[in-house]
Amino acid sequence: MIPNKFEYIRPNTLQEALSILSAYREDAKVLAGGQSLLSLMKLRLASPKYLIDLSGVPELNYIREESGRGNSARIAIGALTTYAQIKESAVLQAKSPLLVQTTHLIGDVQVRNRGTLGGSLAHADPAGDMPAAILALGAEIKAVGPKGARWIKAEDFFVTAFTTALSFDEIVAEVRVPVLKGYKTAYMKNAPRPSDFAIVGVAVCLQPDGGRTCQNITIGITGVTDKAYRAVGVEESLRGKQLDPKIIEQAASRVTDGVEVNGNIHASKEFRSYLASIWVKRAIQAAMSGA
Amino acid sequence: MHKIKVRINGRDFEDEVDSRLLLVHYIRQKARLTGTHVGCDTGNCGACTIIFNGKTIKSCLMLAVQANGADMTTVEGLAKNGLHPIQEAFMDRFAIQCGYCTPGMMLSACSLLQTNPQPNEAEIREAIEGNLCMCTGYQQIVEAIQYAAEKTRK
Amino acid sequence: MLKLEEILVTRNWVGKPVRRKEDTRFVMGVATYVDDLDIDCHHVAFLRSPYAHARILKIDTSKAEALPGVIAVITGQEIARQTKPVVPRAFNKPAVQYVMAVNKVRYVGEPVVAVVAENQYLAADALDLIEVEYEALKPVVTIEDALNPKSPLIFEEAGSNVLLHDKMVHGNIEEIYKEADLVIKEHFKVHRYSSTPLEPWAIIVKYERANDSFVVWSNDQQHGRSIVNVCHTLGISTDKLRFIVPDSGGGFGVKLALWPYIVTLALLSKKANKPIKWIQTRTEHLLGGTHAPDADVEIDLALKKDGRILGLCIKDIQNDGSFVHTTGIYGLIKFATMSGCYNIKATSAELVSVVTNKGPTVQNRGVGKPTMIFVLERMVDLAAKKLGLDPAEMRFRNFIQPGQMPHTTPSGEVYESGDYPECLRKGLRHLGYDEFRKRQKDLRSKGRYIGVGISAGVEPGTSNLGYYYTSRGVPEYMGNAEGAIVGVDYDGNINVLLGSVDSGQGHATTTSQVVADMLAIHPDRVSMTNQLDSIISPFLGHSGVYSNKFNDVDLGAVIMATKKVRDKMLRIAAHMLGVDRSKLKLKDGTIYSSENGAKAVSFKEIASVAYKRILLLPEGEEPGLKEIAYYKTPFAKMPSRENFNIQITHSNSVHIAAVEVDVESGSIRLDRYIIVHDCGNQIHPEIVRGMAIGSTVHGIGASLYENFVYNEDGQLLASTFMDYLKPLSVGLPNFEVVHMESPCPYSLLGTKSAGEGGAITSLTALANAVEDALSPFGVKVTSLPLAPEKVVKAIRETKEI
Repeated sequence: MIPNKFEYIRPNTLQEALSILSAYREDAKVLAGGQSLLSLMKLRLASPKYLIDLSGVPELNYIREESGRGNSARIAIGALTTYAQIKESAVLQAKSPLLVQTTHLIGDVQVRNRGTLGGSLAHADPAGDMPAAILALGAEIKAVGPKGARWIKAEDFFVTAFTTALSFDEIVAEVRVPVLKGYKTAYMKNAPRPSDFAIVGVAVCLQPDGGRTCQNITIGITGVTDKAYRAVGVEESLRGKQLDPKIIEQAASRVTDGVEVNGNIHASKEFRSYLASIWVKRAIQAAMSGA
Repeated sequence: MHKIKVRINGRDFEDEVDSRLLLVHYIRQKARLTGTHVGCDTGNCGACTIIFNGKTIKSCLMLAVQANGADMTTVEGLAKNGLHPIQEAFMDRFAIQCGYCTPGMMLSACSLLQTNPQPNEAEIREAIEGNLCMCTGYQQIVEAIQYAAEKTRK
Repeated sequence: MLKLEEILVTRNWVGKPVRRKEDTRFVMGVATYVDDLDIDCHHVAFLRSPYAHARILKIDTSKAEALPGVIAVITGQEIARQTKPVVPRAFNKPAVQYVMAVNKVRYVGEPVVAVVAENQYLAADALDLIEVEYEALKPVVTIEDALNPKSPLIFEEAGSNVLLHDKMVHGNIEEIYKEADLVIKEHFKVHRYSSTPLEPWAIIVKYERANDSFVVWSNDQQHGRSIVNVCHTLGISTDKLRFIVPDSGGGFGVKLALWPYIVTLALLSKKANKPIKWIQTRTEHLLGGTHAPDADVEIDLALKKDGRILGLCIKDIQNDGSFVHTTGIYGLIKFATMSGCYNIKATSAELVSVVTNKGPTVQNRGVGKPTMIFVLERMVDLAAKKLGLDPAEMRFRNFIQPGQMPHTTPSGEVYESGDYPECLRKGLRHLGYDEFRKRQKDLRSKGRYIGVGISAGVEPGTSNLGYYYTSRGVPEYMGNAEGAIVGVDYDGNINVLLGSVDSGQGHATTTSQVVADMLAIHPDRVSMTNQLDSIISPFLGHSGVYSNKFNDVDLGAVIMATKKVRDKMLRIAAHMLGVDRSKLKLKDGTIYSSENGAKAVSFKEIASVAYKRILLLPEGEEPGLKEIAYYKTPFAKMPSRENFNIQITHSNSVHIAAVEVDVESGSIRLDRYIIVHDCGNQIHPEIVRGMAIGSTVHGIGASLYENFVYNEDGQLLASTFMDYLKPLSVGLPNFEVVHMESPCPYSLLGTKSAGEGGAITSLTALANAVEDALSPFGVKVTSLPLAPEKVVKAIRETKEI
C-alpha cells in the first residue's frame, strides 16, 4: 500500500497554486485533507505526478456570514474548512444547520478532523455525504482558475463519478450556502455501519407554510447513482401539497426517476432504489419533526 | 526530497523526506517511535492514530512532508510525570488484549476527554468509532474511558 | 492427577482480577511486534495473481530486476526447484502445491513473484514492472461449481475437486430413526468470514552465513508445528532454524497458516544475504490471509412428539478454497460437536471437502463449531416451532442434565461437567423472558418487531491433534501437551518460560497468578518472558496458542515445573533449617517451620545455596533452581474412528439476543445481549469476561456485516476494510455477562476453555432472534449473514433468509 512516486508542492497562496496547476495540467492533483485522495493513491488507483497541497494557503479556511441584499444573506465557507469545524460551527448551527447535521454522519472523528468541504466536493465520490447536502441547499461553489473566479451552482457541479464541472486548472475556493429562514432540514443516511459511505444519503430542505403544506422543498440524494443529484420528481410531487404520510410515500417513490441506479455487494440496484424511497420518506419526516 | 522539521512528544526532529513517505512510516522508521501501528492501509482501522496539532488524525492518510512544522503526540508521549490517567484506566479496567489498537484507542480517548470530560456511553462509542479493536468487542475499552472520566471528576 | 490443595499453597491470586502484566508495555507503546524490531532489513513484496484460475505462460522480471534498489527476485518456479510441496494433513489424494504459484494460479492473490528491495517503497514499485502472461481458465468458485463434473479441476492430479469425502456414524442411527415420531430436514448455507487480527502476518528471516542456518521472527501462532513444516519444505534439519515469536497483535487461528511465507523469505534472505522483512498488507490479508470456509449443510433431526431429539444426520460440504495444508480439517473437528448440549443417542456425519478458486482457509476462531452450533441450534428452534413448544422449553427437554455428567457423546467426546439447564434458566431470568414476550406482543400491535433468540453451545478446548488424520488413519500428531521452564533467580524471584505464545490472552498474568499461589508470593515477583525463542524455550510439535489449550496443558506445564522447583526448594530448605520437609510451610517468599516460625529461610537464601554456595546443598542435590516440565493431557484417547475425543475440555454457554428488526429497511438493532458462560474455575474473571465478549463480537460481525463475497469470476469483492466490514464500537450493545463455574475434573485447576465460546454460540442467537422477531411474516433463517437486503426480500417475497 505504497503510492507511486510523485512530486509534492506546497504553494503559499492560491495564485501560486493556480499557476502550478496550470503548468502541470492533468498530471497534477490538488490535495486538501487527503482522506480520499491519499487512500486512492496508496491503492495506486490514482497516480498524479504532482501533488499540490493547499494546506499552506491560509485564505481558504473560514466560516463567515455575508449579509446579502434582502433575503439573500449567505454563509461563506472556505474550501479547506474541515468537517470538524463545520460540525462545531455555531453560525451554521443557528442559520443553516443542514451541513452541521450532515457532518454528524460523516466518517469518524479522525476523518472529520482532516476531511474538508472543498475536498469532498472536488473529489465527487458518488457516495459522499456533502454533495447531497450542497444540492439540497442550492449552494454555489466558487471555482477559481487562471482567468479568475466563477460561481457554479451545486446542481451543475457534479458531472459523474469522481468528475465535476471544474476544469483541470480550477480549484474550489469557497462554498456559499443560504441562511435559512423558515426552513426545516435533515440529513439521513442508510449505511451498513454508521460511519460507512452511504448506500443512500438524503438531504432535505423543507419550507412549510406554517401548517402541514409544503411551500418549497429541495432534496439532495447521494449513494444511489454515479453522482449526487436533486430528486426533482419528488420535489415536484410535494410542492404545494399537504405533507401527509400517503403523499410523502407516493412522492418518495419517484426518487430514482430517470436515474441509473448502482448496485454493489452492500445493496443491489433494486434494493438501493427501494431504500432510496424509504430514506427520502424518513428524511422528510425527520425534517418535519425537527427544528 | 523535502526538508521537514517536526516536533513529536516535545522533541524536535529534522529530516529529509521523500514526497511519498507516509507520516506513519516517518514516525515508525525515522523517529523510531513504533507505538504507532499500521492495521489496514486504507484509513479504516485507526491503529495509526496520533494527535496532530491538537487533533486526532490517522497518520497512514498523511504524508510526512505535510507534517512540516507540526506538533505531534504519539502514544510514547502520553506519560509525562508517571502514566497518563487514560493509561492507568486502560490497565485498571482491562481494556487491552493484544495491545495493537491500544495506542490509537487511548489517543482517541484522550482527545475526547479533553473536549468532553464527562462523556456518556454513546459519546464514548462515537469517539472511538474510527478505531477498530478485534479482540475486546470494545466494552472494556468503553468502561475504561468512563472510569478515567469518573476519576478526573473526583 | 494432582489435587487443587496440593497445587495452590495460598488462595490470594487465582480467581482475582489483578492488573495484567502485559499492559504496561502496551500502554507505553513499547511493546515489540515483528515490525517494531530494530533489525536492518530488506523488504519483500509479492506480485499476486489477478486471476482466480489461470495458467502462467511467461514471467518477465527483467525490468524489475533492473530497478535501482531491487536486490533479488524469485518466481514460484524457482521456489519449486528448491523446496518440497506443502504437506496436506487431512486427505490422501495427490494434490501438489508449493508455497508460491508454479504453473498455474488458483486464487486471486496467490503469490506469483517475490521481489526484495532496499525498502518497501521500492519493492512496491518493482511489482509494477513485472510482466506475467496468463491463460485464463474457467474459475471454480462455489460448492456447486466444484461438484459439477464438467468443471475444471483445481488439482488435476487429484482427479476431482472433492479432496475429502468421509462418513462417520456413531450409535445405532437406523434404529434411532425408526423410533422417531417425526424427522425434520433443513439445508443451511454459511458464508465465508474471518476474524482478521488487527496486526496482519509479519515475518523477518535472517540467514546466518556462519552456520548456514536461519533465524525467524514471526507472529506465528503454532511455532511448534511451523518449525517442522518450514524445515521439511526447505529440506533442512531442524537445528538450522531458530524461531522467535515476539508480541503478536491478535491471532484467532488466522496466524496458523503463515509458515509458507517463511519458506519464501528464508530462500530470499539466503539469496540476498540480508535479513528480509515482510509485513502483510490488509488487502493481502483479506485475499489470502485465510478465511473460515463457506459451507452447505444438510441436516435432519429425528424427534419424538414430546420434543426429545433422538438422533441427527448431517451432510456437510465445505468450500476449502485452495490451500491443501488445511483442506478438510474443518469437517473433522466440527462433527465432534454435532450433538451440542443435548442428550442425543446417535449421529451420522457425511463430510465433504471441496477445493475451489477461492482463497485459502485456516482454523478461524471456533473452527467449524460456529457452523455446527448454528445449524443445530437453528434446528432446535425449527423443531420447537413444528411441535408447538417454546424454544426454551425445547432445550430444557433435551439438555444433558448435571447429574448425567460426565457425558460421553456418540462419537466419544467426554463432556466433563456443567449445568446446562441452569445456564439457560439464569439467562432467561436475567433477560426477563416472560416480560419480553409480553412486550413483544404489545409492540407487534404497534408495528414494531422485536425478537429474542436463544442459543446454547459447547465450547471445546485442547484439541486432541490426531483428529486431523481421522480420515487418513496415520496421525503425525496425537494428544496435546505443552512445556514450561520455571526458575528461581539469584534474588529469589521467579522466571517462567512457556512453550506457547501469547496473542492477547494475558498468559503472563494468569501464569503469575498461579505461580504466586503455588509459592506463596506476590505475582509481581513472577515474570514471564514475552518472547518465545526456540533455542531457549521448551516446546513441542503441539506448542502454540490455539484450540483453547492454555488453561489446560499450558498451565499444566507451568504447574508441574513450578512444583518441581518448589519441591527442590523445600528439600534445600529442610537441609538448611534442619527441619523435616513435612513440617515446612511457605509464606511471603520464605520457607519456615510450622513448629517454630523463627526457623525460616527466604527464596533468596535458598537460591544463594543453589547457585553459589553449592557445597551447602543436601547430599545428591544438583545445583541450580530451574526446572523444565512437559504436561500432556492424560485424557486424550488414541485416534480412532469409533471412539475418539477430539477435544478434552468443554465449556458451555447460553447466549440470549434481543433484537429489533426494522421491517421496512431490513436493518437489525441489537437491544440486549446476555452471555451466560461456564468455563469452570476462572483464574482471572476480567480476562475471561473480555474473551467472552470479544469472541461474541466475532460472531456478531460474521452474522451481520462480514462477508467475503466473490463474483462469478472468482474476484473477491471485499478486499479492504472499506468493504469487509468489521463491527465498530457503535452499533454494539452493552453485553451482560453472567458467569457459572462448574469445575473441570480433567484439568489441574478445574479450568476449561474461554477463548472461543462467543464465536461459536453467537451466530444462532442472532439468527434465532431475527426469526423470532419476524415470525408474524413466517420468515425462516437458513443462511448468514443477516443482510438487510435478504431480510426485506424474505419478509416481502421469499420467506427465507
